[in-house]
Amino acid sequence: MASGGKWREEQVLVICPGSRTTMAQLGCGELSPPHHRIPTRMFRDEEDSNLWRPYYTYKRVTTIDGVENEEWVEDVDEDKGAVWPIEGGRIVQMDAFLAFLDHVHGLLTTTYHNTPIMLMASPQWTRPDCETIARYIFEKTKTPALCLIHSGIATQYGLKWPNMTVIDIGYEKVDVTAIHDGRVINHMDLGRPQPGRHISGGEVFTQKLQQLLTDKGFNHDMAEQLKKSGICEVLPYAPSQKNLVVLPVETADAARSAAAQGKAAESAAAESTTADGSVQDVPRIEEPTRTEDVAMEDNDGLDTNVDDDGVLDVATIVTSGQTKEFLAKKEKEKEKGRPGRKPKADKEAEAAAAARPVRQPNSKKVRNTFSYEEIIMEEVPKEVPAPIAEPEPTPMQGVESNSAAEGVPAAAPAVAPTESAAEPAAVPATEGLQSEKPAEPTSDAAAVGSEAAVDGANSSADSKPPAPEAAGTDNEPVIKSEVKSEEAKVNGNGDATTLATAPESKPTEAVNGNNGDKPDAAAADSNEPPELRPRKIRREIEVGLERFLFADRDEIDRIVTTIYRTIQGVEDMYMRPACWDNLVFVGNGSRLRGLKDNILQTLQARHIISPSTATMFTSELPSNVATPAGTGAQTPVGNFAGAPHQLSTSSVNPLLQAATTASTFGIPGRDTIQVATGSTPMVGSEAAGPASGHHFHSQTPTSIKTIALPTYLSEWSKNGFEEAMFLGAQVASRIAFCLHSNMDAQAIEAQKSMSLSRVDYNEHGPKGIRTHSMLS
Amino acid sequence: MAQQPLPTSAQPTDIYGGDEVSALVLDPGYCNTRAGFAGEDVPKSILPSFYGHVTSDPPRDLFGDECIIPRSDFEVRNYMNKDSVVEDWDVAAKMWEFMLVKRLQPERQTPPSKNKLNDDVKEQDGEGDVAMEEVEAMEKALEEYPLLMTEAPWNSPKAREKAIELSMESWGTPAFWLSRTPVLSSFAAGKATALVIDVGGANTSVTAIHDGMVLKRSIQRSPAGGLWLSSQIRNMWETSEPKVDLIPTFMVENKTPVDALAPAQARLREFPYKIHDSYRAFEEERLLTEFKESVVEVWRGPGRYGAAGNEEYIKSQPGRVFEMPDGYNQMWREQRFKVAEGMWDENAGYPVPESERLTKAQTIPELIRSALNAIDVDLRGNLLANVVVTGSTSLINGFNDRLNNELTAMYPGLKIKIHAAGLSSERRFGAWIGGSILASLGTFHQMWISKKEYEENGVGIVEKRCK
Repeated sequence: MASGGKWREEQVLVICPGSRTTMAQLGCGELSPPHHRIPTRMFRDEEDSNLWRPYYTYKRVTTIDGVENEEWVEDVDEDKGAVWPIEGGRIVQMDAFLAFLDHVHGLLTTTYHNTPIMLMASPQWTRPDCETIARYIFEKTKTPALCLIHSGIATQYGLKWPNMTVIDIGYEKVDVTAIHDGRVINHMDLGRPQPGRHISGGEVFTQKLQQLLTDKGFNHDMAEQLKKSGICEVLPYAPSQKNLVVLPVETADAARSAAAQGKAAESAAAESTTADGSVQDVPRIEEPTRTEDVAMEDNDGLDTNVDDDGVLDVATIVTSGQTKEFLAKKEKEKEKGRPGRKPKADKEAEAAAAARPVRQPNSKKVRNTFSYEEIIMEEVPKEVPAPIAEPEPTPMQGVESNSAAEGVPAAAPAVAPTESAAEPAAVPATEGLQSEKPAEPTSDAAAVGSEAAVDGANSSADSKPPAPEAAGTDNEPVIKSEVKSEEAKVNGNGDATTLATAPESKPTEAVNGNNGDKPDAAAADSNEPPELRPRKIRREIEVGLERFLFADRDEIDRIVTTIYRTIQGVEDMYMRPACWDNLVFVGNGSRLRGLKDNILQTLQARHIISPSTATMFTSELPSNVATPAGTGAQTPVGNFAGAPHQLSTSSVNPLLQAATTASTFGIPGRDTIQVATGSTPMVGSEAAGPASGHHFHSQTPTSIKTIALPTYLSEWSKNGFEEAMFLGAQVASRIAFCLHSNMDAQAIEAQKSMSLSRVDYNEHGPKGIRTHSMLS
Repeated sequence: MAQQPLPTSAQPTDIYGGDEVSALVLDPGYCNTRAGFAGEDVPKSILPSFYGHVTSDPPRDLFGDECIIPRSDFEVRNYMNKDSVVEDWDVAAKMWEFMLVKRLQPERQTPPSKNKLNDDVKEQDGEGDVAMEEVEAMEKALEEYPLLMTEAPWNSPKAREKAIELSMESWGTPAFWLSRTPVLSSFAAGKATALVIDVGGANTSVTAIHDGMVLKRSIQRSPAGGLWLSSQIRNMWETSEPKVDLIPTFMVENKTPVDALAPAQARLREFPYKIHDSYRAFEEERLLTEFKESVVEVWRGPGRYGAAGNEEYIKSQPGRVFEMPDGYNQMWREQRFKVAEGMWDENAGYPVPESERLTKAQTIPELIRSALNAIDVDLRGNLLANVVVTGSTSLINGFNDRLNNELTAMYPGLKIKIHAAGLSSERRFGAWIGGSILASLGTFHQMWISKKEYEENGVGIVEKRCK
């Protein structure tokens, strides 16, 4: 029997660890986006510092009937005291990392003996690191086989092009890996911890944003959410501008349209209130605004995912433990947003569209708002009839988010009329950076929130009880967001428009920890003094040009330079064009709107070699093309087996080929003039003069392109290929672990060397991972 | 096939002991320093030997390509000198530690004395002990790894002693060996006897190796390497009509395509601080390298470049266009041969200041001639049949053909066979690869200078053993 190929697809455990979030999943059959996203962190046990715990744990003393009970409580969302074992891709705390691997394994499966593991390794992992991991896995667990895969190679397996340059923009690091014919040929990285660390990647932008907005009271979390919102973007590279960017300017036009927008919103709001004010109508009324939003997106044409798809706040979702529900919701929401919506809504949309002026894309607006969500611990005063206004105490999943939404539609009509009184003031919204807006958020929010809650409870006495609502969960998110955006418009002036959704505390079925308990406890001892509760607060914050200015040129230049040096540093010149023509950006840091484009534009504006065709034809082509000498050793070896390439036509003069293909970039075969440079010299074989030989010596890059992403994986198209390495890890798992039939001896041998099986481990020890892995 | 997988419940009977020697190989050169694990085919960590030095307070050194970017109060230095011998030992120690420890070793856990978990224990110890512990922790950086280092054949005894001292004292390596680059290059080519022609960045050397030993009298070297070629190119650009401006890539924000010979239309980057000349020079060298890769070619023959009719012939041949980072582009025809010709013919090439001028004895053919003249006549035939060419400057197009022609002309009647690795990486890292092969051989373990030997004999042992 062969050592590979004895597992089924659903048995393979795929783990892609990142500095912040680890993607993991049991099974590689579906090639789906990761089922689990787990924060890559561990906590030291307070009592035994050699033990690690997956969650923040603290001791809580409760008094029930005068008896003090001491209990350990796990808080799945708390970061306090967390050890993040990976920093900038490098494992800085190996024992914590191993404990984390154990934790992930335990979360996903309980069996070891038939669960082979596919583990993605960052390029920064050292050889001893890999050996330690292999050793741990084989000695401490019963795992039958382990495959370590280089993250660049994993990306390549996901995207299936033989030559690629993978630019992985992570949390605090950027990796650039040049891959030719499935082999890593060069690698550079930024943000390695070294004396005086200089981080690179997504976090740089967050910090810059925060720094720009410190005056307005932005903290790191706010900056992070702003960055992930649709309004924050890296504007296109403008080669001739002073600051290399075209910022929107305040014009009379803009002001007018802003005003008009306010008006439109107002009328919409008015409509919504006059319709009949009942809760049931809210969805119908809100739909048009939704359409409007969509229409706007279509208008601006710049952007594809304003509906936040590309900018999922993964961290929040994961930390809130509601990953599954969230994804389900998202899915439904998207379906809702599809063209096939109620004709009534369409009609209204048209009407609205007629009434409303053309909306500007985000990049043309001087100011824009985003809704900031935070979870605060709020004291719930006991006079608030918690069980009624906030019918959340049943900590079952779904119901809570429901109830949250439930409170909102009720509140909306109540609030809207009062606010619309302040409507005329909406016009000056465009002026000035209203500092009061971000100011005193929490207190205000709390006030408004509770007010809203009370209102909701009062005015919607007839509103349905939460239980039936549960059935309609899928509707809720839409409604909620609509109401929110509506409100935003209504009080465009935005005196701290806050909208308190009922505490969307995070308990889910997965949270067996304290959060589930807490509301229970609260419910139980309702005559206890005020209880601290997590409350999700959402408010609209308007941001000016900072949302474009944060795109730090220095950081972009660093990334651009690293890409340039990586590819130009490839030793064999003939490989470079293929690398230049197949760039791919991955890593969630690259989800930042416009970043990829800007990098690409910068590269093109700065580095592209433009063989002015005139030069090529008049002087480059020899009048008497010398016949290439038959230098056996230097015959080009076209070894592109990959689909997108055709084999080289080696008899064509490279200059001629270069010249003829230069005008039409991207002709396949352009990059195939290649030769094994300088192999054994042939005695006396070079008499033909300088024109002989087919050495590829052209300057690069003559074109810079990104690769075409696969379109046949619809789930991934939705998810975005920023996480393509996870897809690739699944593909590689199948090949390494699950391929059973139709293999010749060579393929079996190759498969064997992809992963380290227990048999191989017993034979070679941990160093077996050097040869039995996909690390280079 | 024979071996059945263990029953799922069975743990390996013996826990792996980790007793295998896994050596590190360090190959410092003037342009690059290479480090990696023995047994691998390319060095894992390749860094420029140039490093960044921040002059503002506090001054600090930055290693690695990613740090060498435009910044204020920043200059670029090199810890090696142009003889490929370590110049600044303090920095060398830091740099090597950065590569061998930071890059190749896992993050070291905070020693127990510092992680605040054992505070009470610490208080019981005297303060002196704590200091000792820390020193010990530092020393253990490489205690599991024997180290093989390379050196230029003309390395000074003092520098050799310094190297073993650093390795043994600072990193606590259990074993050490120092090997000369030509020996290793010949190993990389699979030969124990060879005439090694190493055309590197700062130097070109010719060394005869016999049975794995350097024949000391044969060692010849000259500056006719990459740097010298760079100065030729600079000169060519200087004197070209129109003059070619050397604007390194980092200064260009973006460019607009222009016709050949037309003035560049580029927007240059502005820096709010002064760019130090050393940084600029470093960046210029990158551009020159690119020019060497894609334009420069060695005249293959017949005859020398200067021979009658050759220049006219070349002029009729297609040239190569090179585009500068600022977009200026020009066709280079005979010039691209002329720049490299000086390595072969002291009368050719572009004029350079007298101090940089190569003498006849410093040209490559003459180096070979003197090397062979210095050794026993019986060995010559064998050596010429095993010529190993290595070093990245030897990658210049046409180099091997020319070398072959020159040797044939110099030694008619003798069999000449040139061995040059086909892969660029093998040519660039020849010495490192040889070291990797050598250090992973089982028999080599008997040769190491062990820690014990070092402790008994002191630094002098390296002169006695590594001959």
